[in-house]
Amino acid sequence: MLETFTFETALLWLALLAYAGTLASALRAIACGQSAEGAVGLGMTVGLALHTIALALRWTRLGHGPFITLYEVLSSNIWSLLLVYAIAWWRIRAVRAAAPAVLAVVLVLGAWLLAVGEQDGHLPPTYRTVWLYAHVGFGKLFLGAALVAVGIAALILLRSMNVFATRLATLPADVPLEELAFRFLAFAFVFETLMLIVGAIWAQDAWGRYWAWDPLETWSFLTWLALAAFLHLRVTLRAGPRLRACAVIGIFVLAFVTFFGVPFVSTAVHKGMV
Amino acid sequence: MTAAKAAQKRYFDARRAEAVSLRTVASLRLTLVLFGLLGAALVAVNLTQWPATWLIAVPCALLAVNLLAAIAAHPAFRLRMPLLVFHLALAAVLLLAAMGRMTHLKGELELSTGDTFEGVLTRTQAAPWHRSKLGEVRFTNAGYAIDYAPGVKRGRTANRIVWRDESGFERESVVGDDVPFTLFGYRFYTSFNKGFAPIVRWQPANGSPVQRGTIHLPSYPLHEHGQAQEWTPPGADAKLWLMLKFDEMLLDPERHSQFRLPQRHTLIVREGARRVELAPGGGMDLAQGTLVYEGLTTWMGYTVFSDWTLPWLVVASLVAAAGLAWHFASRFAARSWMSPC
Repeated sequence: MLETFTFETALLWLALLAYAGTLASALRAIACGQSAEGAVGLGMTVGLALHTIALALRWTRLGHGPFITLYEVLSSNIWSLLLVYAIAWWRIRAVRAAAPAVLAVVLVLGAWLLAVGEQDGHLPPTYRTVWLYAHVGFGKLFLGAALVAVGIAALILLRSMNVFATRLATLPADVPLEELAFRFLAFAFVFETLMLIVGAIWAQDAWGRYWAWDPLETWSFLTWLALAAFLHLRVTLRAGPRLRACAVIGIFVLAFVTFFGVPFVSTAVHKGMV
Repeated sequence: MTAAKAAQKRYFDARRAEAVSLRTVASLRLTLVLFGLLGAALVAVNLTQWPATWLIAVPCALLAVNLLAAIAAHPAFRLRMPLLVFHLALAAVLLLAAMGRMTHLKGELELSTGDTFEGVLTRTQAAPWHRSKLGEVRFTNAGYAIDYAPGVKRGRTANRIVWRDESGFERESVVGDDVPFTLFGYRFYTSFNKGFAPIVRWQPANGSPVQRGTIHLPSYPLHEHGQAQEWTPPGADAKLWLMLKFDEMLLDPERHSQFRLPQRHTLIVREGARRVELAPGGGMDLAQGTLVYEGLTTWMGYTVFSDWTLPWLVVASLVAAAGLAWHFASRFAARSWMSPC
């Protein structure tokens, strides 16, 4: 590992360190009933800046985007998840308290990334298309928006369990918080729809078929179906915010397993992150 | 009660019953049940070897009925144009996908360099309502180039295709794994499947006409160490075993390279215990004729796909996504994101 420790790797490690420091600040603040918005904002900005440079250096060196090897996919997903959250954090105040939950999920991926080790990949012939960039981009927006919804859902559940009560008491009531989570999940649904459409366009020319129910397609569609069911459930059943928050987390778990689990058990040509 | 009043009552009862039936079919709770059914079918298809088509088609068809009934029954669809656009587009996607399943064609073919496709596939999977126009499709494989990265990792394929347009003019296109050549709605793609093809001439001993053709050896470099094939000459009884022999390293694992023919090669022909090694131009006499090895060329394996619904599916699904985004954007614009309730 030390032999391949480059400037690019050093920047990535520093970015992960910044994210970890941000999580520590956010946890300490929420435990003490404070907000620590300045430290969290600065930590995410510094981490994202370092991470962006690391990804750009890698892209320039290899001549393709970070979506071929497991190392690249994990790294770029950490970056995109935090970027979406950082934008939401900047624009919507209620989302800021969700930093510990969001950063905890991101750092699970960070730990995985460190365990994987740096790998360079070969860009397959069917990957030189704009549709791939659009497919990956919409996928990242989908997962990012869903993660913000999860962060908000976690706040509702933590408050119901009387955890971090002082800080969480300053947030809006459960109903508007759940509505906020629903909004992010609604846009996640739009992005996932676009990801599936664009992916099908790409698959048609990459593998000569637009849809083949391979494991990744099937589980992506199941996630879409679960999202659609959630949106219909909100109209049909008058469930409380806590139950809805649980549903939001359930959907994210399904999406997470689809993105980061199914590719490892699939033998199909459509490998996603593997 | 007069007869007129009784008829009126019967009429209104019937209308009421119709409305109740429509509302039942259009029920959102039924939608949720059908979502569950479709989800269960997908899990079953994914975890078992059960046939996907019917398991998925039945809940999809029921969802389509439920969707159309909902559009007819629920006033929300008439009040919210974006929601109506999304659901109508979704119904169109379901209908088009079903039509596509019933009319599509998938297939494979192999073509030696210089040979012309004449409508015959080596493997075909045609849906029941597919009307074949393959007989009208003609194109010639004019040769290809394939880049390989270090580690013998296949890169871009550029296969030149020569064909005639409707006016009879000869045209040339370049096909790849992800760049199709489209004619009469058939999309032809190159594949990983390609290799070497010895060109042989067979002169039957009984005076029948001389035949010339190619024999496709197993895919290269996938079967790098198995470049052999059994072959029976036309009209003969004896089965021959042919093997291409060359000593060059064609694809260097250490550096970038291109797929190419070996510069020096021979064809080993075995008939029973007899073994002959033929250089290009060399021949051998057999009991039923003479075999001449003229030289070596390449062959390419193509996949072909035809589905007239493809462009319409793209349009319908993009309209659905736009309708969905429009619906949420207009709904959420009514209240601030800072205090959404």
